[in-house]
Amino acid sequence: MKKIYLILIAISFSSNFYSQGVKIYGKVTGEDNKPLNGANVVIEGTIDGSTTDSTGYYEFETSKTGQQSLLFTYIEYNERRKSLLIEQGKNIELNVQLRKAEVETEEIIVTASSYTSGQQSQVTITPLEIVRIPGSDGDLYRAITTFPGSNQVDEGSRITVRGGDANEVLTILDQASLYHPFIFDNDFNTSSYTTINPWGLKGINFSSGGFSAKYGNALSAVLDLKSYEMPQGTGAFLWLGLANVGLSGVFLSNDKKLGATVDIGQTILDPYFRLNGYLLDRYNPIPLARGVGGTLSYKPNEKSNIKAIFDYSEDRIGIRNTSPSYDGYFNSRANTIFYNLKYSAGIGSKTYLSAGLSLSHHKDEISYGILNNDVKELYSKFRLDMTNQLSKKVDLNFGGEYEYDEDKFIGKVPSLSYNLRLDAPFIDINSNNHTGRIGGYVEAQIKPFKTFFTIAGIRTDYHTLSKNSAVDPRLSLGWKFAKDHILRGTVGIYHQFPRLEFYAQASNFALKPEQATHYILGYEFNKSEGLFLFRVEGYYKDYKDLVIRDPNSFLYSTVGKGAAKGVDVFIKSRVTNKYSTWISYAYTDSKRRQYEAKTEVSANYDITHNLTFVGSYNVTDNITTGLTYRISTGKPYTPVNGSIYDSTYNVYEPIYSKTNSGRFPTYQRMDINFQYFFSLFGRFAIAVFQINNLLNQKNLYDYTYNFDYSERKEIITTNKRQFYLGLGVQF
Amino acid sequence: MKKVILIILTFWAFVNANKIYADDYTDAVKKAIKKLDAVGDISDRAALLKARGDFERILQLKKNEWMLNYYMAYCDLMIAWSYMGEKPDNENIKKYNESCIDLLNKATDIKDDFAEAYILKMSANSNRWQYEPDKMNDIITKGAEDNAMAKKLEPENPRYYLVDAMITYYTPESFGGGVEKARPLFEKSWDLFQTYQLKDETYPNWGKDQAAGMVALCYVKRDKLDEAKKWIDKGLETAPESGFLKGYIMKQYEEAQKK
Repeated sequence: MKKIYLILIAISFSSNFYSQGVKIYGKVTGEDNKPLNGANVVIEGTIDGSTTDSTGYYEFETSKTGQQSLLFTYIEYNERRKSLLIEQGKNIELNVQLRKAEVETEEIIVTASSYTSGQQSQVTITPLEIVRIPGSDGDLYRAITTFPGSNQVDEGSRITVRGGDANEVLTILDQASLYHPFIFDNDFNTSSYTTINPWGLKGINFSSGGFSAKYGNALSAVLDLKSYEMPQGTGAFLWLGLANVGLSGVFLSNDKKLGATVDIGQTILDPYFRLNGYLLDRYNPIPLARGVGGTLSYKPNEKSNIKAIFDYSEDRIGIRNTSPSYDGYFNSRANTIFYNLKYSAGIGSKTYLSAGLSLSHHKDEISYGILNNDVKELYSKFRLDMTNQLSKKVDLNFGGEYEYDEDKFIGKVPSLSYNLRLDAPFIDINSNNHTGRIGGYVEAQIKPFKTFFTIAGIRTDYHTLSKNSAVDPRLSLGWKFAKDHILRGTVGIYHQFPRLEFYAQASNFALKPEQATHYILGYEFNKSEGLFLFRVEGYYKDYKDLVIRDPNSFLYSTVGKGAAKGVDVFIKSRVTNKYSTWISYAYTDSKRRQYEAKTEVSANYDITHNLTFVGSYNVTDNITTGLTYRISTGKPYTPVNGSIYDSTYNVYEPIYSKTNSGRFPTYQRMDINFQYFFSLFGRFAIAVFQINNLLNQKNLYDYTYNFDYSERKEIITTNKRQFYLGLGVQF
Repeated sequence: MKKVILIILTFWAFVNANKIYADDYTDAVKKAIKKLDAVGDISDRAALLKARGDFERILQLKKNEWMLNYYMAYCDLMIAWSYMGEKPDNENIKKYNESCIDLLNKATDIKDDFAEAYILKMSANSNRWQYEPDKMNDIITKGAEDNAMAKKLEPENPRYYLVDAMITYYTPESFGGGVEKARPLFEKSWDLFQTYQLKDETYPNWGKDQAAGMVALCYVKRDKLDEAKKWIDKGLETAPESGFLKGYIMKQYEEAQKK
C-alpha cells in the first residue's frame, strides 16, 4: 500500500510543484510548407502553450512533465494532436504540419447539370444577380437562359433545354407543378413573362438533365423553386415603371408565428410603346396584363409550418398578322388561378415531412380568322415527401403524388391548316378529357466518404387514362477527387406522358409515355466557393416513344425516336470586388422524329451554338451597371418550296420542304442596364434604367408569305431596341 | 487507518487540483484581457494574434464559458479589421469575421441574454458587406435582428450606441448614414459611458476612448478642429494610453490641421 501513496504523491508533486521549466518550440506549417501565422499550440488540459508568429515559429515553457498531448489548431484547418514525453531539463523541438479542413460536401455538388441558388455556400447564382442580369427584366426564367443548355422561346420566359420542347421543362413551386406561370404565353410574336417573384424565393434549383427520382413526368429539365416559409420582415415595396406598376407588402407578426404577403401589379404599355416607337395600330387591344397574389404563413411551433399561396393573373392582347390567307388581329385572352396549401414538419430530429395540395385553373381564348379556340385546363395535385436520416452517411427520401389533369376544348379549327379565312371550312370540336397520374419514388443519398457522394433512386408513374406505366431508375455520382475539383456523372431513365390533347386524337388513348435516357459526365473546378467556377459537361440523350402524327389518319401514336448530344461550358468569376462575370457556351445536336417529322430531323429548338456573356460592375457603392450579350445559331424552321392552287376554296396550299430543314439567321442581342440605389424621403429606393437590344439587331420571329407563297417576308421580333425606366421605393 | 490516509490524500489532491485550476482560470482570463487591452492599435496584428491565442488556450479548457467565446470573437473582429486598410485582403477578412460570428453564436447559444455578444454581432455582420455584398438581404435581416435584440436587452449599453454609430458612420448618406447622423449617437454613447458600471472585472470594458475619438473624427470631417481637439483631450483624460486616439485619431486631426 505504501508504494501507492508514494506514487500518488510523486505524481501530484511532479506535475504541480517541483518541476522546472521545459522549453517546447517548433514550427507550424500548412500543406505547402507555408508558415501559419496565428496557429495555436497548447498542452491539453492546461493553458500552457503559445501562438505562432509570422514565420510559423512558437515557443513556450511549461512546468508539466510526463506523457502529454499537444493540441495544434488553426482557423479553417484540421486540428492535430501530438503526444510527447516531457522530461525535466530537456527542451523539445516539435514541428507540425496542418491540413486544410475539407468543406462539407453539400448536396448541390452531387447532381450533374444543376444550377442552384439559395443560402448554401456554393451558390451559382443569387436572387440579386437574377434581378440584375441585363435583358432578363428581373424575370427568373430569362435569367436561367443565361446558363448553358437552355434557350428562350421567342425571347420570352418559356425555356427549352438541350434541344427539347418547352413543355419538357417542369416548374415546381413548393411541391406544386406550375403549368402556366406566364402572361402573354403562346401569343403571336409576343414575349411571355413569368408571374413568379424571385424575391419570395429561398431556393432556386435548375437542373438541365440528370435530375433526381423525386421529379416525375418531365423529360428534359426541372426548375424547383422553394419559397420562404415565413416572410423576412414587415414592409412594403412600390414599383413605378414605364411599362408596369406594382405594389407588394410583407408582414411578420412580433412573435414570428404569423406572416402574410400580398402582390398586386398591372402593365401599362401605352406610354412604353409610344416611347419605343411601336406602331399602335398594330395592336387591338394594346396588351394588358394584371395580377394579384398573396401568401399566408403560420408557424404553430418551431418545427412545423403551414403556408397557403394564392395567385391570379390575366392578360389580353390583339396583334396584327398578315398571313397568306388572312389579314387581321390575332386575339388572345387568358387567365390563371393558382392555389397551394403546404404543410411541413420535422418529426423527431431525423425525419422531415412535407405535404402539399395544389389546384390551378387556366383559361385561354384565341381567335385568328376562322380559328377560334376556347381552352380550359384544370390541374390538381397532392404530394407527400419524407426525408429520413438513417445514419450519418445515409439519407433516405421517399414520397408519392397524385395529379389530376382536365382539358376542355371548345372551338373551330380550320380543316386545312393553310386556309384561315373567315369562310374557310372548319371542324367544330367540343372535347373534354381528363386523366390521373399516380407516382411514387424512393432514393438513397449515400456518402461513404467525405469526398464521395451517390444518389440512387427509382420512381414509377401510372397514367389512368392510357393505363400505361413507367419505371425510372436513376443514379448520380459525385466525387471531389482533389481540393476544388469535382467529377460528376448521372445515368437515368426519364418519362413524360404526352399532353391530353394528343390522347384525344389517338386511338383508344393508347399513347405510351415519351422516354429519354440521360447519360451525363461533368467536371467542375470551384475555387474559394465561387470566386472562380469552371464547369464542363457532356451529355447524350436517347429518346424513344415520341409522339408522331400520322399524315393520313391525323391520329397520334408514340413511335417517334431521336437522340441529343452536346457539351455545356460555364465559367463564372468574381474578378474583383467590383466586377463579376459569367460566360456560358453550349453545343447541341438534337435530332428527333416527332410531331410532323417523317424522318429524324433537327428538333424544334436544336440551337447548334449558343454563347452568352454576362458582366456586372459596381461603379460606386450606389451605382451598378451590367451588360449581357448573346449570340446563337438560328432556330430551325420548315421552308416552303412552292404552292398548289386549290380551286375549291380559291386558296394556295403550300408545299413544305423537309421538316426543320431551314435555319433562321444567327441570333444576336446585347442588353445593358444601370441601377442606382439612393434614399428618397429617408426610404430605400432603387432606380433602374435599361436598354434591351442596344444595337437594334433584327432577329427573326418567323417567315410569312404572300398569297401564293411566291414571296417570302420576314417577321422581325417585337424586341427591337427598347428603353425602360423604373423606380422602386421601400417603405 | 491506512484507508483513511488514502481517502484524505485522494481528497486533498482533488481539492488542491481544483483550487489551482480555478485560480489559474480567473487569473489567466484577467491576464489575457490585460494583454488584449495593451494592444496599441489594430495594425499590430501580431499582438492581436497573441491575445487571441491566450483566449483560445483557455477556451479549450472551458468550452462552455460564454465570456471566453466573446473575447476570442472580439480578437477575431479586430484581426478582420486589421486586414481592411487600403488594399483589403478579403480572404482573411472573411476567415476571421466568420470565425467571430461562429464564436458569438456559440456565446448566445450558451447565454441567450448576453447583450454584449449581440452588439458585437451587429459589428461583425456589417463587415460582411466587404466580402459578400451579394448576400444583401441576409446581411440586412441579420443586422436588424441583432440590433433589436441588443437594444431590448440593454437599452442603456454605451457600446450598443457606439457600434450602431459606427455602422451609421460607414453607411453612405444616401442610405441613411453619414457623419451628421452618426455624431449624436457617438455622443450618446460617450454620455452613457460616464455612468456605466462594470458587472464584474472580466466583463467587456472597451469603447470609451473610441466614442470620444469618433466624435472628434466627426468634427475633423466637418473641419471643426477646435471641437475635435476638445474631444481628443476628453478621451485621453480617461484613456491616456489609447492607441486608437493617439495612433489613428490624432493622425487624422494633424493631417486636417496641415490643410
